[in-house]
Formats: sequence, C-alpha cells, structure tokens
Amino acid sequence: MALPLHYPLRNLAHRRLRTALTVTVIALVVIATTLFLGLVTSMRRTLATTGSPDNLIVLRKGSDNDGSSAVPLEAYQALRFFDGVAKNGKGEPLASPELVVQPFFFTEDGGRENVLVRGVEPVALEVHDEVRIAEGRMFVPSQGEAVVGRGVASRYRGVELGEELRFGRSSWKIVGVLDSDGSSFESEVWVDVRELAADAKRTIPYSGLRLKVAPGVDRDALIRRIEADSRWTLGAKPETEYYAKQAESADFLFILVVFLAVVAGFGAAFGATNTMYAAVQARIAEIGTLRALGFSRGTVMRAFVTESVALAVLGLLVGVAIAVPLAFAVSQALGGIAFGLSTFSTSVITLRISVFDVAVAALLALAIGLGGGLAPAWRAARLRPIEALRKG
Amino acid sequence: MIKFAPIVWRNLLRNKLRSLLTGGAIMLAIALVCVLRTAPEGFDAFLKALAKNSRISIHNTAGIVYSMPYAYLSRVRAVPGVVDAVSWSWFGGAVDVDEGVAFPNFAVDAETIGVVFEDLGMEPAAVEHFRTHRDGALVGRMTMKRFGWQPGDEVTLTSTVYPLTLTFRISGEIPADQDPRFWLQRAYLEEALKAQGIASDQIGMIWARIDQAERVPAVMKQIDDMFRNSEAETESETEKSFFQNFFSILQGIIAVFLIVSWLVTGCIVFIAANTASMAVRERLRELAVLKAIGYRWRLLFGTLLAEATLLSTLAGASGALLSLGFTRVLGTLASTTPQMGPLSGFEVTNWILVQALFIAFFVGILSGVVPSFGAARRSVAATLREVF
Repeated sequence: MALPLHYPLRNLAHRRLRTALTVTVIALVVIATTLFLGLVTSMRRTLATTGSPDNLIVLRKGSDNDGSSAVPLEAYQALRFFDGVAKNGKGEPLASPELVVQPFFFTEDGGRENVLVRGVEPVALEVHDEVRIAEGRMFVPSQGEAVVGRGVASRYRGVELGEELRFGRSSWKIVGVLDSDGSSFESEVWVDVRELAADAKRTIPYSGLRLKVAPGVDRDALIRRIEADSRWTLGAKPETEYYAKQAESADFLFILVVFLAVVAGFGAAFGATNTMYAAVQARIAEIGTLRALGFSRGTVMRAFVTESVALAVLGLLVGVAIAVPLAFAVSQALGGIAFGLSTFSTSVITLRISVFDVAVAALLALAIGLGGGLAPAWRAARLRPIEALRKG
Repeated sequence: MIKFAPIVWRNLLRNKLRSLLTGGAIMLAIALVCVLRTAPEGFDAFLKALAKNSRISIHNTAGIVYSMPYAYLSRVRAVPGVVDAVSWSWFGGAVDVDEGVAFPNFAVDAETIGVVFEDLGMEPAAVEHFRTHRDGALVGRMTMKRFGWQPGDEVTLTSTVYPLTLTFRISGEIPADQDPRFWLQRAYLEEALKAQGIASDQIGMIWARIDQAERVPAVMKQIDDMFRNSEAETESETEKSFFQNFFSILQGIIAVFLIVSWLVTGCIVFIAANTASMAVRERLRELAVLKAIGYRWRLLFGTLLAEATLLSTLAGASGALLSLGFTRVLGTLASTTPQMGPLSGFEVTNWILVQALFIAFFVGILSGVVPSFGAARRSVAATLREVF
C-alpha cells in the first residue's frame, strides 16, 4: 500500500521555516553552479560554433592564432589556384587573404582592450559563409570603410552604424554590422586588407589565408599538398579544428566548475540531511502509527526520500528562475563578458544559461535530494512501531 | 560568562550528527569561498606589486601589436629622469610548432635589461651571462618548472612570426613563481634576420625605468610629446596600468567568481540558521524551565548565540585549512594552462584566511541571533503552556 504523494509534500508545508531555509541553500548552490557553468559553456559555444568544416585556415607553421602569423603574397597567389579550392559562380577561387591586427578599443567605462581587426577582400563573405551583413552594407575597398561585429558594437564606445571609428593610425566609417549566429566573428571588425596593411605598416601583407574546399575534394590531401610545399613553411588545418583549439582555454574553468559543483553539492546535501533528520525526529509517533497501520518499511522510506527530493526540486526551480535573469543582468552590466587571452584579442561572450547548464544543475539538485534524504529515510524505515509509538 | 563555556560545549555535542553535518557544510562552503577569492585577490596583489616600481611602458598609441622604430630607444634613454630603457619585441617562438606558442617570448637588449628590471631580483651572474652570450636567455620560473629546464640547458624555439629557428642556452631564471616570460637577445635575432635579408629596424615597445616615482608622470608626458606627429606616436603608461589594461579582459570572469563566492557565503548563513533554529526549537522546554528558576534571558540568549558562533567558527577554521589543500591541487592543474594569466596562482593569502574566519564568525552570530533571541525572550508562561 502506498502513501499518497501529497503526504510528503504537505509535510514540507508543515515546517515552513525549515523548508524555506533548506530550499534557499539548494537554490543558491543551483544559481552558483549554473552561472559558472553558463560562463564556461557560453565561452565554448562562441568558439566552437565558429568556422566551417570545409574551410581551411592557412598560417605560418607553428602559429596557433592568425594574430601572430605571416603569409607572403606569392604564397597566396599560388595557393588560390591549387586544385581542390572551391570556386564561386564567376569562376573566382574562394580563397580569402586576410590580415589580422589587434588595435586598442575603449569600453564604455574606459577600459582598453585589443580588438581583432580583420583585413579582408569582399570574397571573404563568400568564404566565411556563416557571416552575414545584418545591417547596412559591406565595405567598399579603399574607401576607408569598416563593418563591425555585433559584439563589438555593443561593447565599445562610439561603435555605431554611420559613426566614424578611430583605431590604428586612421579613422574608418562604419557602414555595416556583421552577424554570425553568436560565433567569434561577431567580436571582430572587418576592413579592406590593403588599407589595413598600409595602416599597420606591414611589409608582409597577409597573416593568413582561408580557403574553401570544393565539394567532393579530399580535404586532407589538400592540407598535405600545402604543408609539403617547400617554398614556404605553411600549416593548414580545418577552421573548426583551429577554433576548437582556442576553446581549450575554457577547459581549466570547466574543471573549476566541476570542483565547485561537487563541493557545494556536498555542503547542500549535509544541510538537507539535517533538515530530514529533524523531520524524522519530529514525526516519530506518526511514523510508528503508519507502521502500526500496516504501511511497509519501503513505503515509509519512499515517503521520506520523496520529501527530500521535493525539497531539492523546489530549490532547483527557485535557483533556475533566479539564475537565468541574473546571467542576463551580469552579461548586460559588463557589456558581454570578454575573454580570449590565448588569441591575444578580445572575444565578446553573451553569458547565457543553456538547456545543458540547467540539466547539469538538475542532476546536482537530484543528487543533493537523494544524498540528503536516504540516511534519514532509512532511519525512519527502521523504527520499530511499538517503540516509536511509546517514544512519541 | 566563561564558566558557561562547558554548557555551550555540551550543548554542541548533544546532537553530534547534526553538529557534524552543519560543521561539514560550513567547512566546505568556507573552503570554496577561500578558493574563489584567490582569483580576484591574486589579481589585486599582482597589480599592487607592480605599482611599487617606477617602470613605464612606451608603445604605439594604436595598440601593442603596432611597431615603432628601433631608433626611438636611444631617444628615450636620453630623456632626463630615465635611468635606462630596453626595447621589447615579440618573437613568437614555439618549442614544438605543432603545439604552438606555449609561453610569451621577447627579444630584448642585453645591455640594459638587467638595469630596467633590477627589481625582479635576478642573479647578477645570470644577467651577466645573458649580456655576454649572444644565444643567452633569461626564463621565468613558471616556464622553467613547466619544461623542467635548468640554467645551461639548450632550448630551440621556432618563430611563428619570422622564418627562423634559433637555439638558446639558458643563462638563468627570472625568479618569480608566476612569471612565464622568456627573454632572448635582440642582437641575436637581428643577426639571424639579416642573414635572411629581412629588415629589423622595428620594435614592439620600450620599457624604461624612471629614477624617482614622483617624476614618472612628467617623464611620460615628455616622451609622448617628443614623438607627437611622428610616424609612430607613442603612449606611455605605468607598468601597473599596462597590465591592468592587458588583463582587463579577465574582469568578466573575476566578476563571476565574486558573485559565486557571495552566493556560497549566503549558503553558509542559511545552513547555519537552519541548524540554530532546530536546536532552539528542541530546547524550548528546558529554556522555559531555566527561566522559571531564575536565569536571566540575556544569559540564555548568550549561551545559544555562543553555541552557533562556536560551531561556525570552528567549521570556518577547518574550511580555511581545507582550502590550502584544494588550492594546491588546483594550482598543479592550472600550471598547464597559461591562458588564465594572473588568475592561475591560487594562493590563499593570510588576508583571505582572515576574511574566511571573519565570515564564519559573523555568519555564526547572524544565524544564531534570530532564533536565540526569539526563544530567550518568550514568556515563561507561554512556553510552558505550549510544551506541557
């Protein structure tokens, strides 16, 4: 015979203060974990969704970011005509020669950050096919025009469509805003590659190339051919792999989150255990009565475990309900969260709690509920009915 | 008051399991708070240490990746108040080109580096070896440890900016645990570049030491004025300001660390308050009896409060100790990820320990005050009627 579900739930409502305190503790642990985990997954998502698997990034061998690499003009002129490089409708190779520099930009509160400025040719929009012009238009080469990523527009002072943007040695007119579904291109500014090379006084005009691999072509064979060319020492890898490597800087933070969740989870479980022991203690007579009426040990145990899990679920709901808007507020207050020491330039990240973060928090809350409820429920189940009735 | 100490202690031991669980929860939470606070505190300490010296950075106004002519160095050195200056250029060398650049490495002037960075406490013999050996290198302790290098070892770096592979012999260590930098001789780089027919008249930036801290602002202004309207206008700033800007991208992460540490502190308050209220509720009857036989409410309130505070402080102290163990493990893991910059130190300073004990102490008082006050102030008649 089972006890109705509202028995454990009504019990929670009976000792309001105790329930509220325990739910608050679990909620705080849930908020802390989801917020921190949200930061890590947001960072990963920004980098991991950047790039396309059929694009190759060509840099000087050994360079792990296009901010510190140099590719000579002759290499670009040769590589764009390699077999296996895709072509557009007009028969032009989809090869984008790019120069990356990181000039200073200033945030609203005066902070100075290195922003990635990418010098490109108009073909870049065809190669980076996830990048779209969301507002305005693409720049016209050699007109001193720039297009800015969404993240840049939101984070830095005076970066708006139609405004003059000062960086490097000159001033650029913002004619468009880039959108790339949250990937790290949104943290970049794009200008004409020749103008940028002149502004930065670069003798080697390009820092890297991006090549789109033609459909049906053996990508690895193309990589081998580029790397084997003895005229230059170049390295090529799929764009997705390049950005995945940059996402590795989030790995250590991930370890920290797991550490935080485990330690805080134990703490909260201890708190829940206390509450449940007290609940058992206060209801000894009642448990004795239930057992005397014929409810089995398993039934009593299940009722107490359910009560504890219900505490945890309440904590989870309250926690998630607070964590989601809190993450949004933190992100807004900081104008996006900046990260990217490995690339020497700033990636603007929108801190957002994802379904994955909530799922992890739910598992944690469940573990807290079970961990906190099992021992007290076991004690309740083992009470001998006669003694329990006498004690109560 | 002290004669009631045994009573407080006995009360604490009355429900051992509960005290243990509460203490455990507070201990873990305090340990977490300590660990989380190491990041912002470490960052502050890092900047504070830099504020002590009178070194300035001179770089292109456009950004630190924009270059300037090498000729600027001699002009900066001639400015009155400048003790000495050193040029500084990114080499981008990698030990293993497949792994990428694992630590920052710069070409510097061997003649002046020792003077400009005198405060780092490098051994004079190491600096002298670096000055007199073209292939010498001075390497930060963090990088030395990570690769297991010793002075005298040979190290080969392949540049990711120049078509060069150079071999160095380590002259000595830059003695700071968190210092990852690797310095090589600019003359060595220049020679190798010349052999390849590459011009090398540009440098990344200049570090200069000023003789008196008070003169720093004036000297910085003089230097920037000197290069105004030239091909590369400069921006001078103190070393502290430079690194504050350089690592400003970590501010968001630090903010999240701080928020999380406050949340965990909140957890401690509620866990402790829950326990205190349970303890008080169970003892309503005896409190009423004690009052009935003449004990003052202040005394009862005091003993209850002392009990909560004692538990929380003891647990806080063990948590602070536990955090030392945690940070050791995390520090070992972090040493393989240089991207965290000054956040990867995980050093639990004495100040953090003091803060942790204060938090534990006040949390104890805070959590005990409401339930104890309520119980102690209740009228005897009301309580006795309720419990009998």
